[in-house]
Amino acid sequence: MSDGTGTVVRIDGALVRRWVRLSADQISANRDYLTQLDAAIGDADHGVNMDRGFAAAMTDLAAGVDLVPGEVFAHLGSTLIYRVGGAAGPLYGTMYRETGAALGGETAIDPEVFLTALRSGLEAIQRLGAAVEGDKTIVDAYLPALTALERELRAGNGFSSAAHRAAEAARDGARATIPMQARKGRASYLGARSVGHQDPGATSTALLFAALASAVDDRT
Amino acid sequence: MTTDRRGTIQSVERAARILKALGTGSSRLGVTELAERIGLAKGTCYGLLRTLERQELVEQDPETGKYRLGPATLQLGNAFLDNHELRGRSLLWADSLASRVGESVRVGVLNQSTMLIVHHVFRPDNSVQILEVGASIPWHACALGKAVVAYLEPGERETLLHGPFMQLTGRTFTDPESLERELVGVVDAGVAFEDQEAVVGEAEIAAAVFDHRGHPAGAIGVAGSVERLMPDGPVAGLVAAVKETARGLSRDMGAGRLAARGGSNV
Repeated sequence: MSDGTGTVVRIDGALVRRWVRLSADQISANRDYLTQLDAAIGDADHGVNMDRGFAAAMTDLAAGVDLVPGEVFAHLGSTLIYRVGGAAGPLYGTMYRETGAALGGETAIDPEVFLTALRSGLEAIQRLGAAVEGDKTIVDAYLPALTALERELRAGNGFSSAAHRAAEAARDGARATIPMQARKGRASYLGARSVGHQDPGATSTALLFAALASAVDDRT
Repeated sequence: MTTDRRGTIQSVERAARILKALGTGSSRLGVTELAERIGLAKGTCYGLLRTLERQELVEQDPETGKYRLGPATLQLGNAFLDNHELRGRSLLWADSLASRVGESVRVGVLNQSTMLIVHHVFRPDNSVQILEVGASIPWHACALGKAVVAYLEPGERETLLHGPFMQLTGRTFTDPESLERELVGVVDAGVAFEDQEAVVGEAEIAAAVFDHRGHPAGAIGVAGSVERLMPDGPVAGLVAAVKETARGLSRDMGAGRLAARGGSNV
């Protein structure tokens, strides 16, 4: 999984499982923070729900060491749909399932194909939530992350560099939700209460992209 | 805002618009921002703000100099809720429904094209929840709204069916034809459903509450996760509990037996 520029990097089942493990770690470490963000405008269960979902996914995936990337995402998506309540379960669950479906049975995936699959995941989220950029949702972190990923890959900067730029873009995107007034979800009809709070969904998405960047570097 | 301004006083209207501007969107605004937003000269806006400040309806942040709503607005809001007949009569009914079904209960009234939540009982499970009293949910995206609009006089219903309809999720109905079908379904079933049309993952089951004239005064319903409320369609026990509660509350509101059963006036 070396990633010097010009080296062909392929995304395999081990890398994707590492991404899931590091995602679970990130969510767990930030559980209270996510819940605190959610308490301002949501039901104060985002951190707890996501942590429960990813912990369950880790248990489910422990047996599946020979799963191909598409299968890992399919399992993760189903677990999140069944185990995570609120809006996050269906949104993230469907996102991973669509990503997995787009990858199919491939064992080693080209970064460009991976990007396309992640984009199918984003489209699934937008279909369910009818959200566009600026609505103060997951989309505000996810979309800039994909834009950065694509830009870096097109520039030939390699997958590792691209994943790091994507993580930064997602983090900046999440921060940019602070002054926004929510136009989707419960926060949208609670009016001004959403202004001044970072969106919990955009924040958890930023954590997932941070985990992707670590997963690419980490070769354990 | 009404287009017919005959017999109204401009300065009062302007003061009201200042209060509404401070009550929605960004809650702290400077004189210049406010004046621009409302289309007033800065001096006029300042005079209005000073007057409102004397009445404690607005206050000025001592550090930033920006204006925000004042303490008297809380007293007004509370007085509104205290004097609201449906809210007052719904308190016990809502509590008992929430503890009976273990879900959160909301009571709403139609205000223009949104349902204003006038009472909200938390899901009795000690989880942290946010109080939704005062929230305005577009009528077409919640069961409370569909329950009420289904029983409005045809003219009022037609007006509301013209929209516009904001898309809150991928499942929000935003065309008059689908919404009209929803309303026919409400009258047939005597209860309204909402399946992730306002918030992804959440559902609501609600029924209209009628007053002594047989008109819909508002609606009461349970809201919660779609897996609990509608695992394979709406849970029959929840539907029965909601309908029974709405009937009892309607009787308390003075509705006749037929109206309390759901729509003698249609």
